[in-house]
Amino acid sequence: MAVALPGATLPAVVEELLSEMAAAVQENARIPDEHLLSLKFIFGSSAVQALDLVDRQSVTLISSPSGRHVYQVLGSSGQTYTCLASCHYCSCPAFAFSVLRKSDSLLCKHLLAIYLSQVMGTCRQLKVSDKQLTDLLFVKKKQAAQKDSAAFNCVHLNTSQCGARANRIWHKQVL
Amino acid sequence: MDFESDDRRILERPIKQKVKSAETTLYTPQKQMFPRTSETSANKKKLLRGGLAERLNDLQNRERSAISLWRHQCVSYQKTLSGRKSGVLIVKILELHEECTIQVAMCEHLAGLQANSPSQGEVPRTGLKVLFTKETARHLKGHPQDIVHIYPPWQMLIAPSGSCPVILNTYFCQKVVAKEDSKIIHEVHCWDTALPRRSITLAQRFRFRNLTNISPESQVMYSGLTTRRTDCTHGHEEAKQCFPAQAPLRDSLLDAVESQGAAPWSGVGVRVVVQRVYCLPYRYQQGGGSAAPPDSDPPRVRGCLLVQDAYGMFSEVHSEVTILKDQQLEGKSCSLMGMKVLQKATRGRTAGLFSLIDTLWPPVMPLKAPGHGQACEKVKNHMPPPSFCYILTAHPNVGQIDIIEEDPVSKLYQPPVPRFLKEILQTNDLSTRCSFYARVIYQRPQQREIWLMVTDATLQMQDENNSGLPKTIPVCVAPSCVLSQEVLEALTEAVSHSFFFRDTVRAQGHIVCVERSVLLLQKPRLGVDSGAHSCELTGPVKLNELVSVTQVNSICSIQGTVIGVDESTAFSWPTCDMCGNERLELSPGDRDTFSCGDCSRVVTSPLLRKHLQVFLDCPSRPHCTVKVKLSQTSISSLLRFAACEDGSYEVKSVLGKEVGLLNCFVESITTHPASCIGLEEIELLSAGRASSEHCRLP
Repeated sequence: MAVALPGATLPAVVEELLSEMAAAVQENARIPDEHLLSLKFIFGSSAVQALDLVDRQSVTLISSPSGRHVYQVLGSSGQTYTCLASCHYCSCPAFAFSVLRKSDSLLCKHLLAIYLSQVMGTCRQLKVSDKQLTDLLFVKKKQAAQKDSAAFNCVHLNTSQCGARANRIWHKQVL
Repeated sequence: MDFESDDRRILERPIKQKVKSAETTLYTPQKQMFPRTSETSANKKKLLRGGLAERLNDLQNRERSAISLWRHQCVSYQKTLSGRKSGVLIVKILELHEECTIQVAMCEHLAGLQANSPSQGEVPRTGLKVLFTKETARHLKGHPQDIVHIYPPWQMLIAPSGSCPVILNTYFCQKVVAKEDSKIIHEVHCWDTALPRRSITLAQRFRFRNLTNISPESQVMYSGLTTRRTDCTHGHEEAKQCFPAQAPLRDSLLDAVESQGAAPWSGVGVRVVVQRVYCLPYRYQQGGGSAAPPDSDPPRVRGCLLVQDAYGMFSEVHSEVTILKDQQLEGKSCSLMGMKVLQKATRGRTAGLFSLIDTLWPPVMPLKAPGHGQACEKVKNHMPPPSFCYILTAHPNVGQIDIIEEDPVSKLYQPPVPRFLKEILQTNDLSTRCSFYARVIYQRPQQREIWLMVTDATLQMQDENNSGLPKTIPVCVAPSCVLSQEVLEALTEAVSHSFFFRDTVRAQGHIVCVERSVLLLQKPRLGVDSGAHSCELTGPVKLNELVSVTQVNSICSIQGTVIGVDESTAFSWPTCDMCGNERLELSPGDRDTFSCGDCSRVVTSPLLRKHLQVFLDCPSRPHCTVKVKLSQTSISSLLRFAACEDGSYEVKSVLGKEVGLLNCFVESITTHPASCIGLEEIELLSAGRASSEHCRLP
C-alpha cells in the first residue's frame, strides 16, 4: 500500500509542468497542447488570463543596484500590480481573496503570468534606483484612491530585511 | 485572522489614518472589487491573435464540449463505456485530500500504464497520485477503496525527484462499482464528508529547470505535422515515448469511419494521398465548430486537406492552420490517425466540395475495389463520381497527420491543370472548377469582396476581328475564399502581380474565387514554366472599348466628347503637399492658410485636388448616357484653358472637348428608365510601380 506523503502535491506538479514548458521553449519547439491544458486543469480560468498577460508582455522585473527585485504586472484593467520576487504575494484583490482568504487558488493570474513569462523568456527588465524600488513597495496615496472601497492592512517593509525572508505582507491603502 | 502556516510573520506599524479593518474587508468582499473568475468573462475579453491565450482558449472550448458529451453519455447510458480499452487507466483510490479545490487521490495503480515504455524507467507498480478538479470530483463522488477508470486523454507528469507519478486532465473518468458491493457502498457513503485540506505555503516560490533568459520573438514554427497524442509519459527530458503502439495503417477511409463511429479514432490509421490543401473560414465548417466571430474580426480559418484513399473515397480533413502553412503536404501520401467524423457531406448540401472533387474524377490510377486485394482497372473506368464525402477533424491531442514516404497511394495525386484564359472562356461549361495563371492589372475592393481585373497573353494577343472574347476578365474574390498572408501583402502593394488561381468557379462573364479556391503568388523568374510565361505580356495592356455587352465590375477604355458636366459634384479641396493629408484645417491665427494635422505645420502651398464628373458622347455607345469620374491628370488637362479670373471654371469652355482614350472601371449600369453607365477613370497597375488611385486594400 502506498504511503500517503504528508505535505502538498500541487507545488511539485506545477514545478514539473513549468519545467517541461521551459524545456520546450529552450528547444525552440512549440509548447504542446497538453501542457496548456494541464495549466488550465490546475489553475482554472486564471490560465487563459495569465497567458494573455504573457502574450501582451505585461510582466516587468524591476531590480535595483542593491540586488532587490520586485515584479510589476500590468493587469487587464490597466491597473499595475506589484508582486514580490521572494514569495507568493500579489497586490491584487483576487490574491487577497482567493489565495489568502479562501485558499481556493494556488496563485492569482498575475503570479502565474510571472512564472509563465519566465518560461517564455518574455519578462521585461527594468533597472531603477534603490530609492525608487523602495517607493514602489510603499503604496502611494494616489494609487490607492483609484480603487473604490478596497482597503488592506499595510505594512511598511523594513527595507533591510526585504527579499531575504518569506513574509506575508499586506499593503495599506491610505485614504 | 487565522493563519495556518507558522512561517509567516507580519510587521506592523501603528496606523495613523483611519483605515477600514482588513478583517472586514477580507471577510465581506464587495463584488465589484474582484475580477470575475468565471470562464465566460475570460472568454468575452479579446485575446491576442496567435497568442498562447488564444490557443488555450480554443483547446479548452473543445475540451469542454468533449467533457459535457462524456458526462452526458455517462449519465444517460449508465454503463461503462467500453470499446476503447487502450489508454484506459484503472486505479483504486486509497486516500483523498484537497489542495486549493483540486482533489488529490493517492491511488494504487491497477492497470493501464504499460511497463514497455522504455524511456520511462520503472513505473512504480503501486503508487500513483491522481488529481481531479472540483467539478470532476463532484461527479465522481470518489471514496477510498473505489475503483476508477480514467479514459484518455489524460496526462502524466513525473517529477525527477522520484516521487510517484501524477495524473492530470482526468475529466473523463468513471467509477466502477461491482454490483454486489453497490448496496453497501451506497449506505456507507451517502453523506459527503468534507475532505481534509492541505495548505500550501506562500513562502516557497516554485523552482523550475530549464529557465532561460532568451526572449523568443515568436514560436518557431515546427515543420512537423503532428499534434502529439496525450497518452504520453512526461517528465523525462530526453526521448518522449508515446503509447499505445503505432496502429497498422488501413487503406479504406470508409472502413475506418464505419468501424469507429462517432468516437475519435483510436488505434486506427488510414493511408491517404493529399490532393488539395486550402483554408476554410470558420462559418463554412458546418456541424460543429465554434460560432462565427463578429464581423469586425477577420474570419478565423481552419486548414483543410482534401484526401483520397486507395479505394477512391474522398475526405476533407479539418485541422490547425499552422500544420498546413508550408503547403508541402499536397501530393504526398499521409497517414491519418486520431480523426473524428464531423459530418457526412453530400452533393446536395455541399456543392462546392463536390465541384472540387469532380475535377479529380476519374482517378488517374486504378483503384482498389472492396473485397479485392489488388487494384482493378475495371473499377477505375466505370465508377461514378462519389456522392458523399466524410468531413473529418483532427481530434485535439490525439489527431495526427504524418507524411509517409513513397507510398503507392500518392500516384493518385492529380495537380490542378492550368489552362489559358482564352481556352477557359471558350468553354461553355460553367460548372467545373478551373485553374489558370493570370496577371492582375487592377484591383478594387467592394465591401467584403475583392474584384481583380486579370489578363494573360492569350487574351491580350487576340486579333480584333476574330474572337468575341474580352481582353481582360474580372475575378471576384469572395469572402469565403481564404487568402494567405503572402497574397494579401502582395495585393496591398498595389503593383501588378501574377497569380496562379487554383480551382476557381465560373460565372457569367467573370470568374469567382470561392471557398476551396487558392491563390498562389507567382514570383517573377526566368524559368520556362508555361504558366508563368503566359503572364508575361509583350506590350502595354489593352482594354476592350465600352460596348453594349460590357458588364459592371469590369474595366474598359473609352473616348468621346464632353457634352456636359455634373456641376453638383464638382469641387476642389486643398491637400498637404508633403504628406497628402486631405483633411487640412484652417490655421487658427491666419484664416487664409491651412495647417496639416499629420505634419503639424502650416501648409503654404497646398495641392488642389478636384472631383469632376463629365458626361461623354461615346461613339461606341451612341444612345447611352456615359458619366465618367475623371482622374486628377485628366481634370487638369481638361481645365487647362478653361480657368476664369476668379479661379472658377467655365462649363462652356470644356464642352465639346475630346477626351480619351481613358481606362475606366465600370461602376454602374442602368437600363431603365434610360440607359446610363457610371465609370471611374483608373490607372492600371504595372509591374514594379505602385499606382496611386483606388488600389490600396483596407
